[in-house]
Amino acid sequence: MNKKEAEMNIGNWEMAALVILILCTKIFLSFPRLMAESAGQAGWILSIYVSLITITVFWFMLRLYKKHYGKDLIDLGEHIGGAAGRIFVGLIIIGFTIYVNSVILREFSEDMKIISLSISPISFVSLFFLAAMIISAYVGLEALVRMNAIAVPIISLGYIIIMLGVGRYYDLSKIMPLFGLGFKQIFINGITRISIFSELLIVFMLTPNLKKFNNFKKSTYIGIVISSVFLTISSLVYLLVFAYPHATESFLPIYQLARLVDYGSFFQRGESVFLLIWAVAAMLYLSLGFNVLLQSFKKTFKLDHYKPLILPFAVIIFTLSLMPPNLMSVIELDTGYLRKWGFIISFGFAILLFVLAGLKKTKKKGEAH
Amino acid sequence: MKKTTILFLIALISNILFSGCYDRIEIDDQAYVMAIGLDKGKTNFLRMTLQIAVPSASGKSSLGSEEENGEGEGPKSVTTTTVETPAIYSGFNMVNTYISKRLNFSHTKALIFSSELAKEGISEYINAFYRGREFRNTMFIGVSTDSAEDYIRKINYVLDVNPSKFYEETFYSYLYTSFNANTHFFNFYSQAKCSCSSPVATLVGVDKIGSLNAYSIEYSTFMEKERENYLEGDFTAGNIPKEYKNKTSMMGLAVFNGAKMVGELDGQETRYHLMLTGEYNYSYLTVPDPESEGSFILLNVKQSRPPRHSVKMMGDTPIINARIFLEADILSIQSGINYEHASKMHKLEISTEEFLEKDMMMLLQKISKDYRVDIVGFGKKIKGKFMTLDKWTEFDWKKKYPNADFDLVVDLKIRRPGLIIKTSPYES
Repeated sequence: MNKKEAEMNIGNWEMAALVILILCTKIFLSFPRLMAESAGQAGWILSIYVSLITITVFWFMLRLYKKHYGKDLIDLGEHIGGAAGRIFVGLIIIGFTIYVNSVILREFSEDMKIISLSISPISFVSLFFLAAMIISAYVGLEALVRMNAIAVPIISLGYIIIMLGVGRYYDLSKIMPLFGLGFKQIFINGITRISIFSELLIVFMLTPNLKKFNNFKKSTYIGIVISSVFLTISSLVYLLVFAYPHATESFLPIYQLARLVDYGSFFQRGESVFLLIWAVAAMLYLSLGFNVLLQSFKKTFKLDHYKPLILPFAVIIFTLSLMPPNLMSVIELDTGYLRKWGFIISFGFAILLFVLAGLKKTKKKGEAH
Repeated sequence: MKKTTILFLIALISNILFSGCYDRIEIDDQAYVMAIGLDKGKTNFLRMTLQIAVPSASGKSSLGSEEENGEGEGPKSVTTTTVETPAIYSGFNMVNTYISKRLNFSHTKALIFSSELAKEGISEYINAFYRGREFRNTMFIGVSTDSAEDYIRKINYVLDVNPSKFYEETFYSYLYTSFNANTHFFNFYSQAKCSCSSPVATLVGVDKIGSLNAYSIEYSTFMEKERENYLEGDFTAGNIPKEYKNKTSMMGLAVFNGAKMVGELDGQETRYHLMLTGEYNYSYLTVPDPESEGSFILLNVKQSRPPRHSVKMMGDTPIINARIFLEADILSIQSGINYEHASKMHKLEISTEEFLEKDMMMLLQKISKDYRVDIVGFGKKIKGKFMTLDKWTEFDWKKKYPNADFDLVVDLKIRRPGLIIKTSPYES
């Protein structure tokens, strides 16, 4: 690790903003529709439910992790299984981030192509996002995190404008029957939807950059709570405007909401606000994911520098993102797999690591005694 | 230094590459479609009419639509074309071959279907428009009593410089006439897919008569309502007794079951529909004088509070209670009777309430028993009593609604008498 990277320090707000961005960017993709598909009119209840479960699980994770604070997941892998453990954990995280990055890159590019650059080839559209990822990797994670802390309030403002702008279309009867597709669908089948918080895995890769555990705890909790509120509001507003099953049709729910903003002839076409905040959020999200990928690879294989990895990994992600034959397959890879089974890696695997590391520590203490 | 040079070069090259100059589409390279009309085709499935704005002519004198209506002299603010086509987008392709600009629909304001097509069902066309990125959810949906092509071609923008403004102003006129409704594409689409209500579209049409002397009372709907003469809303579009340069009109609603048209409402019924849904803003209302037969009183009626509805089930019969809250200002008393006085005013309030209740009951019976659709959205009230969607679907509101019994109360309060607080008789 070079000196500059070792000195990197993330502030509390920067960490909270980072959590908000990685958890909330999906609002601009398919999240509100996914909630409507999973629970019908009760999509917003499902959103609250999975948020509460996530906060509980995260509280449990922090209790397990507290003893190992300062070590990221790869460090813990090494602690448990030496070099083999480090490489094993590292490869899982690398695989996970490559999957997330390539799927989301393709999804954002397809969205951009549909709503704005309709006649440009998908590879050309992807290059804009890829360029942002490459440049951010060269400037480093610290600059990116600082930039994100400035961008998140602006993105949030744009988001709030859209949510309020469609106020005239709110209709409470659209979220009736209150429990939509039923209790089983919300409270039992809905549990796997905690995968919408899968990106929380990233915060355990950044812990060495926050000096105190309490600061880490506080900022991540703030981030998760604000994100839960944003996610729930997006789902609720979407369902108040688009009744089920109409709500399951829209490919980009928030874009469709923004298109409805129309107050006389002086305030129309809210999608221009959407396009701006959406593109900024997409670039920041992809850049953060890409940086975590590079740092993980560097750490897994104990490399001195990560910059030579930038272009090869950019090419890999770009190529993988173009592999799905169509938009529907990409959406399936996101909502059908990542947002359904992602919790196995982000929560299950992380908890397993914490437990194993805890057992190892206890064993070592016992041996020392 | 080397780094700065590289950055400078990157910025310079990006400027050239990313500005997209080589395949740019300028604003004046596009043909902005203002209205789309869809009729049943003679040689193919569809006859599609596109009314395209001619921005260079906007703001100049002698504005009009087509020469055939006798008004067009000089530059036209719109041009109209019609094609026979198998489907909507294929029609756009065909039009693009012979107009000099590329069609653009991002400013389309109105989508007009002929009633013939609407009665067969318009789901496939609605889906195509909803899927298209350029079409806006805020464009208006209309149904032409005859041909959509005729309607679009006969529009004459007498007062408007901008055709887009014409559509906005006329479709939003329900806010002060109450003779049409908010029929945004989004509302239509959303209600057509709802299990608790049904959509409506604004009724438009071409005038059936050339001059007022040719008008016959058969064009009015007043006789169905057991009245002796017609009031201002007893017409559907195209049947209004009028003479004007613009030979088209807009009055009433087309009633849909899903995406299939099942009936029409005239202007008066549309007003009651708005009062029942709570979308009513204000308008002038003519009511019979309770003390002087053959005389009328004119009121400016507003909705003072949103209507209150409740639905209860008595076996399989829905019992629907609706309460409408209105307030009114007196505009004119033809008989000269002193209705401004408190005792008389109450009598006028009661008689107006009875008049409105009778008409509204007729409307409710018509839409529930004849058309068998819930355009008011009473189903929304009872939907909340079900816990899950399965139970609601099993209940099947649309099947039960036609059996509904209605209990309607209109609560009208006269607030102000205008500038005159007492009517004194004329001396002769």
